Amino acid sequence: METTDLNLFVRTSEESIADWDRSKIVDALIRETMIDRDTANEVSKDAEQMIRKSGIKVITAPLIRELVNAKLIEKGLENTRKMHTRLGMPLYDVDSLILHPNKENANVPHGPEATNLTLSENIKKEYALLSVFSQDVADAHMNGDIHLHDLGFIDRPYCSGQSLEYIKKFGLDLPHSLSMAKPAKHPEVLLAHLVKFAAALQSHFAGAIGWDAINVFFAPYLEGMSDGDVKQLAQMLIFEFSQQAVARGGQAIFTDINVYWEIPQHFVSVPAIGPGGKFTGKTYGEYEKEAQRFAWALFEVFKEGDGAGRPFFFPKPIVHITEKFFRTDGHMDFLNFISDVAADKGNTYYVFDRGETAKISECCRLSFKLDEKDLLDAREPWRMRYCALQNVSLNLPRLAYLAKNDDTQLFNLITERFILAVKAHKEKRSFMEKLLSLGEDGPLALLTMNRDGMPYLRFNLASHLIGMVGLNEMVQIHTGEEMHESKRALKFGIKVIAHMNILTDKIRRQEQMKIVLEQTPAESTSYRFARLDMRYFSPLSGRIVKGDIASGEVYYTNSTHLNVKYAMNPIERVTSEGIFHPLIEAGSISHVWLGESHPSHEAIADFVIKTFKHTTNDQIAFSPEFTTCNKCHRTSRGLADTCSYCGSPDVDGITRITGYFTKVSSWNKGKLGELKDRYRNTEYFSETKKKAVNE
Amino acid sequence: MCPTSMRFCMSCTAHNVPIRGFLETSFIDWKGCLSSVLFTGGCNFRCPFCHNPELVLHHSEMEEIPLERVIFTLRKYKKWLHGIVITGGEPTIHKDLFRMIGRIKSEGVKVKLDTNGSSPILLKGLVADGLIDYVAMDVKGPVDRYKRWCGVDINTKKIEESIRFILEGTVEYEFRMTVVPFLHREVDVYNTAEYIRHAKRFTIQEFRPHNTLDPSYADIKPFSPDKIAKIRENVEQIMAGRSEQTAVGCQQSAIKRPMHISNDDKM
Repeated sequence: METTDLNLFVRTSEESIADWDRSKIVDALIRETMIDRDTANEVSKDAEQMIRKSGIKVITAPLIRELVNAKLIEKGLENTRKMHTRLGMPLYDVDSLILHPNKENANVPHGPEATNLTLSENIKKEYALLSVFSQDVADAHMNGDIHLHDLGFIDRPYCSGQSLEYIKKFGLDLPHSLSMAKPAKHPEVLLAHLVKFAAALQSHFAGAIGWDAINVFFAPYLEGMSDGDVKQLAQMLIFEFSQQAVARGGQAIFTDINVYWEIPQHFVSVPAIGPGGKFTGKTYGEYEKEAQRFAWALFEVFKEGDGAGRPFFFPKPIVHITEKFFRTDGHMDFLNFISDVAADKGNTYYVFDRGETAKISECCRLSFKLDEKDLLDAREPWRMRYCALQNVSLNLPRLAYLAKNDDTQLFNLITERFILAVKAHKEKRSFMEKLLSLGEDGPLALLTMNRDGMPYLRFNLASHLIGMVGLNEMVQIHTGEEMHESKRALKFGIKVIAHMNILTDKIRRQEQMKIVLEQTPAESTSYRFARLDMRYFSPLSGRIVKGDIASGEVYYTNSTHLNVKYAMNPIERVTSEGIFHPLIEAGSISHVWLGESHPSHEAIADFVIKTFKHTTNDQIAFSPEFTTCNKCHRTSRGLADTCSYCGSPDVDGITRITGYFTKVSSWNKGKLGELKDRYRNTEYFSETKKKAVNE
Repeated sequence: MCPTSMRFCMSCTAHNVPIRGFLETSFIDWKGCLSSVLFTGGCNFRCPFCHNPELVLHHSEMEEIPLERVIFTLRKYKKWLHGIVITGGEPTIHKDLFRMIGRIKSEGVKVKLDTNGSSPILLKGLVADGLIDYVAMDVKGPVDRYKRWCGVDINTKKIEESIRFILEGTVEYEFRMTVVPFLHREVDVYNTAEYIRHAKRFTIQEFRPHNTLDPSYADIKPFSPDKIAKIRENVEQIMAGRSEQTAVGCQQSAIKRPMHISNDDKM
């Protein structure tokens, strides 16, 4: 029988209705898979038979495809089916996606743009797991052995750190853009270039966009400006970044700005670029005053908060505390000031660069240590462009469930999973290489633009991050104690991370790939791992996961952190957690949760200095909590059910989720569980009560 | 008294002050510094708004924290801590307080005492012996109606005596007052400020309706932040005639923009 005999209409994916044509099935099979023509014919006939029997009058192209797939499976052609598969989402899911907010990432608002983002992320995620990664890597991700971060952004690198110098020198000259701008002559224009370039970068990277020494590089433009004008500029910068809710998926650009009080040693004698992209004839060392004015102005704006007195969520200001910081005039005034902002709004991040190592930080915790070669780059700071291609986290507690208290087995499993993560990195890397090789005609044209003798993205320098989730629970399962409970448990935890550190080194030499350890922010991963382990390792996992099982608010402790609930004083916390930090090259952080309390800036400044001097901690941040009222638009301290100004119950809680501040209402269940547990350094009476708190 | 040598000695930790709570580090109890906080049990006041009622009413059921543990922590964090805050309850109801503080002082640790001022004799003694580096006295309200504020009949002469002594300035100090809606009228705050108008520092604290001694106080809605700000402003004006703030041991510094980074002075 001829195919045209079938009285059937097909709704095609090209938004038209076509007559039934069996040969289209054959064409598709041959185009998309390795199948031979005869088998393809046979399969298409089988499928046609089935459709005919059903008596259906109108059929959609996706359904035909799935019916063909069913026939392929019947014939045992599993590989062919995979190549012929279709990516997409059920109607029900799309419906609820459009109606309800996404909670995987609290930085995604709810709106049509956000829905678009989630929809495309879902398809790209499926695509990545089917076609970028090998089966074993994809399976390990699916069952929660490892987590491949940002799969929905499979066709972009992970995060990027750079300096203003690139746009100061080359202007805003992006591939395929509608207009080209020469280097900025005025500070406001430079600011506009910065924000646009950041937005362009954000659409080419999955994660954070970091700016090195932003106040230093702005400095040559600020000469002769009044304090008021500098403040105005700072205000524009912060509002521009925090209100860019029109970027990708309606998100704000995830931006970090690195701030120095001193001129970092590696920039002191570097010729400064000023208005018009021209060298000013001075070095950055001579712009200390201007750089400090801008740093001060930025924090004045952070201190005031937004129009409702709320803390700004972005950009995140990261202040570098270095040996030179303490030798620079006015550093105590500045430290007091930024500590006042920390106490009041929580924005300030303190990064500790001890000794003479230079560092640039970005993303939730990611930072780059600059090595010899980078320091040469520092002579021409527009060349300083760093990126991480991908981030893969290991589910550590799971390894302990599997190892059944056998040390050898445990370390062997760590190595195995580590190598699997490296495999995932290699696969992503070769995929990225493919995309980048298409050059300025390819999808990543922006990253291949070549203005200074090399592509914007310096692929050979790219890092590959390996993170860890739930070290505390791994130690708990394996040794019977959490890391805060005994020296022995803590030491075991250190041993695990030291082992991973050594693996990093070995693989770096073997594979010529820059593999680095990172404390993954794991905003949703710690929840996902805990949930999956509840499924696979019950009942044991029920005693291990943190949070509240009944409400499903479960989580593993992030990275190498200690139990967030344990009533441990902040000195002990930054000291103990800090022991891990030198082993984790790409950056770590300790949190001091303040809750409602409002410490004085002197106390915080003092604590910061002592953390620098007496610990090996890499980075700390203080996190207050706020309630902001949607009715009277004012913000008060602490998480409350009603507004303390007007009494309205229409309020939102605001505090730090992982690396950034956001509204509590957007948090996933795991994080909500953690929020309830966070120890906020409040008093407790007697050991008994303390124990009760910890149970 | 030391049980072995039967006299006062600096190395043993024998004392009769019930230690009912210990916070190893606090950012807020000694303004401007990182400090430990020690809570003694028992109180001679019954302020209805008190937020540590366990310490006032049931402290004998609470576990005793050995002074050794406190000393151990102070030693361990010596590089970090500015000192220790002795609070309660009311520490000065314990005649043996000097012994406990003496032991702490022998570690070279600075001591801040929180008191309600009901025992001027003890207070003066502690200061005279150099055992106190900073004292914070809670003034509950104008002295003429003290019973209303503190829930018990109290000899207000003693309160006044403590205030006078503290005002002499032998030791660094501050006065504090917790302002409770319905209990206090606004004018009570101003009268109190007037009474101690020469004080170097008078801190207005917000009332927190949580775990209060008189359970009905937990239903009182605290003043709005605006109201508190206005009260503070008015108090500042009343206190305006006072002498300049000075440093209190740990560096306290107002936020000031370094002169050298300003352009405006030249314009």
